[in-house]
Amino acid sequence: MNTLDEIWRVRNASATTLGLIEDQMERAVRASSVDDLVALIEGFSPARSSGTEWTRTFEPLVERLWTWCDDATMAALADVFRARGMPWMSVANALSAPNGTTIRADIRHPAGARLPAFTLI
Amino acid sequence: MVLIQGPATVGRLYEEIQSVRYKEATDTFCRLVTEEDRPLKSMIREAIAAAAPYVQVPSHLMRLPTGEMRGVNYDHTILGWRGAISLMRELGDNRGVLPSVQAMWYVPQGLNVWEQVICEFPGHYARDGEQCNRKFPGPDEHVNRFDGPAWNPPKIYFEDHAPILGGSVDERLDRMSWAIAEGEKAEAYGLFLGLAQDPANRKRLKDAILFSGIIDLQDTIINRGGYQNIGHKALRARALVDIADYLGWDQSHELMYTVVPDLACSPHLHGLWTEIANICRMEIPDHASFPKRSSKPLTERELDILTEALVWGGPAEVNSTIMAFFKRGAGILDIGDGVMVAFQKYLIDVLEHPNAFLHPTHALDTMNVIMTWCRDFDNPHQVKGIFMGARFMNDTVRSNAMVPRDPNSRLEPRAKYRGWADGIAIDRMLPILKQHLLAQDAPRACALVDSYLDRTTERHNLLDTITYAACHWQNDPHVMRNCSSSLEEYRANRTSRKDDIIRGYAKHQARYIKRALTHDCFNLYADHFKVEGHA
Repeated sequence: MNTLDEIWRVRNASATTLGLIEDQMERAVRASSVDDLVALIEGFSPARSSGTEWTRTFEPLVERLWTWCDDATMAALADVFRARGMPWMSVANALSAPNGTTIRADIRHPAGARLPAFTLI
Repeated sequence: MVLIQGPATVGRLYEEIQSVRYKEATDTFCRLVTEEDRPLKSMIREAIAAAAPYVQVPSHLMRLPTGEMRGVNYDHTILGWRGAISLMRELGDNRGVLPSVQAMWYVPQGLNVWEQVICEFPGHYARDGEQCNRKFPGPDEHVNRFDGPAWNPPKIYFEDHAPILGGSVDERLDRMSWAIAEGEKAEAYGLFLGLAQDPANRKRLKDAILFSGIIDLQDTIINRGGYQNIGHKALRARALVDIADYLGWDQSHELMYTVVPDLACSPHLHGLWTEIANICRMEIPDHASFPKRSSKPLTERELDILTEALVWGGPAEVNSTIMAFFKRGAGILDIGDGVMVAFQKYLIDVLEHPNAFLHPTHALDTMNVIMTWCRDFDNPHQVKGIFMGARFMNDTVRSNAMVPRDPNSRLEPRAKYRGWADGIAIDRMLPILKQHLLAQDAPRACALVDSYLDRTTERHNLLDTITYAACHWQNDPHVMRNCSSSLEEYRANRTSRKDDIIRGYAKHQARYIKRALTHDCFNLYADHFKVEGHA
């Protein structure tokens, strides 16, 4: 029982740390220009990605963008990547309005939780 | 759909194959079997012989005028025959002929790959992958001239050779393995032919050729373009062994001509092999004497750990996880069985985009070659084979994960249809499963399979249904190869999770991208062999 209690405390500490970083990320995203966001997303190209662990965080990032950015910003981002053709099609589709509608409808904010239930990893 | 009148002859079959008239060639092939009473085995041999001179390439890397390199695909005609021969026994009777008809349909489309990729010869690479007709259209814009017939005879890049005789068997086997690794095609081929003449050599020759194929495997496909072979050396060696056993080694000269020179074709990729050999030498120097099976197979917890490493980890985690299992005394096949079921998690739960199945299922088929080699032969390097197969699987997962997932290819969860599937009576499920496999409706097909597996212990008819439905799809030998691998591995697997191989198999066959959405080949087969169910 002591072990379970200890693990739960560590888990809570990790969640608190993560929550603070989510707050920082939200503020940073809201303050960013479209160009800043394009530069961040460009890092998910297979040619520039630092590895699969980085690329796999694309979907969690897209959830947060659709939660924190306005429609005009998202439309501008989608236009930039759609114009780059097939290699960027999956990114453009993730930034497209239908996907945004799905994500916004699916993300829950459970009662009692400080943050929406974003995907972690 | 009977295409040609007049007698069906073997000469006509050769001419139709070599001129890329694949529909006519398939019709002739069927007529030779049904009207002329020619044995199927003999016609398979003739079809292999007709294609044999035209399946070699100068290299699997082509230097472009810019100085960059592009990959040149491996011959798939022989892979279709290997799958067909394996499935002949599985499906039985006239249904068992369907995979051979599919293999025949593909053969004329798979010749002269080097010319196809530069749009100088018709076939499926030129027609589909390279989209040559857009670049070099013919006079009639409604006709894709890269669908055949050919306007040039196919090229021969490697002439047939005589056997090399003389020297001890040990010496010749060593020289052959060296020649394959060094790219000495003529010497490798000649030595193989010489060794194959004596039945007493064949067991060792099979082991040696499989070993040479298995160790030639890229360390990664991530951002490598064409500098990889995605297991084709091993797959090719396995095809040679299986088909020669079926045809009879004395009837397999053209088969050997088809396969052996290409095993020595560049590029030669021994980086992964070198890495695995090094870590085994350092960590488990006595690995040559490790048992095939032990009294300590993987536990459920260990299967979970292996799944985590294979699907979500990196190469070092895969190495260290498997190394720990060997060090604690698990057997070679115990761990190999674990790798095979752990990988299914990726097929079942992660893969969505139809294009993304290609590399993972090449890795699965390669692991099947490795496992068969481990089951059927004794070789001191088999421990390393398990690492090689697992690393290839993990690399394909990581390669796919380098591209952000496309939400437009998202699949509905199979669990959504579980209630629907559970409401169908067991004795009605398999025909419905076939319908959903043919409709490429993966969520419902997988829900049906989940429900069936939970409600009955019957497996034979389930596997038969998936396999027969899969063989309706034309133009793609990968389909039959994956059927064969999945069936073999399911039957040999001793883990508690072997049913996951069926779940992964059904998902693959219900989702993997199709090269054609019509069933002309199936319908031709149905006409000739009096089978119901035009698709």
